[in-house]
Amino acid sequence: MTGAIPSIALVGNPNAGKSSLFNALTGARQKIANYPGVTVERKAGHASFADGRPISLIDLPGTYSLTPASLDEAVTRDVVLGRQDGEKRPDALIVVLDAANLDNHLSFALELLALNLPTVVALNMVDLATRDGLTLDAERLSKELGVPVIPTVAVRKRGMAELLAAVDGAIRSHAAGEVAVPAKANDASLHQRARTLARAAILSETPVRRWTQRVDNVVLHPVAGMIILLALMFVMFQAVYAAAEAPADFLEGGIGVVQQWVVATFPDNFLRGLVVEGLLAGVGAVVVFLPQILILFLFILLLEASGYMTRAAFLMDGLMGKVGLSGRGFIPLLSSFACAVPGIMATRAIPDEKDRLTTILIAPLMTCSARLPVYALIIAAFIPNTNVGGSPVGLQGLVLFGLYLSGIVGALVVAYVLRRTVAKGTGAGFMMEMPRYQMPQLRDIALGLWQRAWIFLRRAGTIIAMTTVVLWLLLTFPQAPEGESQVEYSVAGRIASGLEVVVKPIGFNHDIALALIPAMAAREVAVSAMATANAIDAGDDEEAMAQSLGERLQGKWSLATALAFLAWFVFAPQCISTIAITRRETNGWKWPMFMVGYLFLLAYAAAGITYWTAVAFGLG
Amino acid sequence: MTALLENVLDRAPLGVMVRIARIDWTAMSEDEGRRLREFGLMEGCEVTPLHRGSIFSRDPLALTVGRMKVIIRARQAAAITVESAA
Repeated sequence: MTGAIPSIALVGNPNAGKSSLFNALTGARQKIANYPGVTVERKAGHASFADGRPISLIDLPGTYSLTPASLDEAVTRDVVLGRQDGEKRPDALIVVLDAANLDNHLSFALELLALNLPTVVALNMVDLATRDGLTLDAERLSKELGVPVIPTVAVRKRGMAELLAAVDGAIRSHAAGEVAVPAKANDASLHQRARTLARAAILSETPVRRWTQRVDNVVLHPVAGMIILLALMFVMFQAVYAAAEAPADFLEGGIGVVQQWVVATFPDNFLRGLVVEGLLAGVGAVVVFLPQILILFLFILLLEASGYMTRAAFLMDGLMGKVGLSGRGFIPLLSSFACAVPGIMATRAIPDEKDRLTTILIAPLMTCSARLPVYALIIAAFIPNTNVGGSPVGLQGLVLFGLYLSGIVGALVVAYVLRRTVAKGTGAGFMMEMPRYQMPQLRDIALGLWQRAWIFLRRAGTIIAMTTVVLWLLLTFPQAPEGESQVEYSVAGRIASGLEVVVKPIGFNHDIALALIPAMAAREVAVSAMATANAIDAGDDEEAMAQSLGERLQGKWSLATALAFLAWFVFAPQCISTIAITRRETNGWKWPMFMVGYLFLLAYAAAGITYWTAVAFGLG
Repeated sequence: MTALLENVLDRAPLGVMVRIARIDWTAMSEDEGRRLREFGLMEGCEVTPLHRGSIFSRDPLALTVGRMKVIIRARQAAAITVESAA
């Protein structure tokens, strides 16, 4: 072991404050990747002992025992047993316990101690235990367990130095004994022993009237709770639009300035066209969404960190149970409003396989932020900015709300059908621990946001940049002779003309046909594709960038076509990332293909019905 | 049987502490049973049902076990026989 950097794994029950402890130990020095073969996030980071020797830390998914109930829990078992591919067995464990929940969390600790790895117990959140009227004897617990027990308050970084010192000591003094294989212990007797140990460690227990119960009485109330949930969702989506406007305008302006600078500085050649019309117009149209995505994730992170998310899952479980899902699915589906990719990844916490599969298949129906640019563009261009019948409710906002709602209702119907056909199974279970309310920690939220922003920008810089460049090339060649439209004459234009035949019955024109193909790479590319085509049509006239795109479309499209286009995007076929993540999560091509197929059909039907209805009402 | 129905956790009044007398482990899957025990729901322990369902349905049930609050489905609660904790 000498010479190598010791790797230390953090293990513990869900809600033991493991991630906060991990953040406190590593700060920003962490890296999120996936375990090979599975999409369970691997959170690793660096820290060092007091004398400067480096150590690496990994944060394992929270679980209740070494017998996993879901995919992420299986990773925890495999890592601590040294069975996980590409991950060496940790040199030491930090077992994280919630001090206020000892009798429960000690069962898992006992199971982990039986593994005979160097182990230190972090008695975390001792401050909250004190608030609840508990006084604990860490030394007594340490004697009973035979390993160091360090009281910690991760959110205040209390006990961190002591914890690391104890880990150092545990590694040094650990007798290289037999590597124990977990005995198939009778879990009931294990729980019994845990309870006895907990009793011994609790010095005094004063019942405190917990204010959190009074909060729950309101928040989980069948009627009041639902109103609060709806209000929170409303505020969240309002904030996504309202608060993101200024930073988005700022980004848009910034991109415009760069474009103008490039145009002014470099001679007109192939490369300048590629950069201005392809890269900047295309990627720029996507990057302006960063503020909206960050605001949505900010809400999701806050709801999760405060402990409210599980309450929301509780409230939604009844509705989701009716279509064969469970409240567990609420969290992945809510994340899917930001992006289906993290949403689908979050389904790994759903224990029931069919429940999980159905949740994955409907996740793309949640209106992800990538559809926002499309909606925003079309609504601004075609829906009058008036109020509905003298009320303060704006028509544009109402249409947007309707689009979100259509996606949700569509998802519920699809789930209902799937659970009775291809994903048939017993009623999904819903068993979940309800975490205590906690003040979200700035550091944890900031780290989470930073990670999301980075993932998004990397995506914009790779897949989206690549597709827009390819599209620009396809739009630029072959060069149209004088007097012919470049967009129509190009390779992309000709492909679009072929596709137009198929989508003409549902009211789609050449513009849309052209945007649909690259939109498979990422939905927002539909906008950047139209922007790029528009930019090529417009030449170097920088006035004719994103701002005028809406006006140009107004001239070319009928209202029926615009509405059909919106309806199409409610069910829009996947972006490539979603298909890829679905393939990985379901271990094969069967389900992603099924998903693409059913979404195509739904999108075609929805757009068609919208178009024909609108034409019948004389809007064609 | 009807008399017993009155004593299952699924029917127990909210806010009143009860003791678990018996759990019918055969009424649920192996995984569900283990998760119940991991939550600390075992014969002899005291629980307080607190919140039941929403406007959509009677499901699920939130209860406290010791210092922990957990959510289970009505189906599992129906397999848990309880008695007065007094």
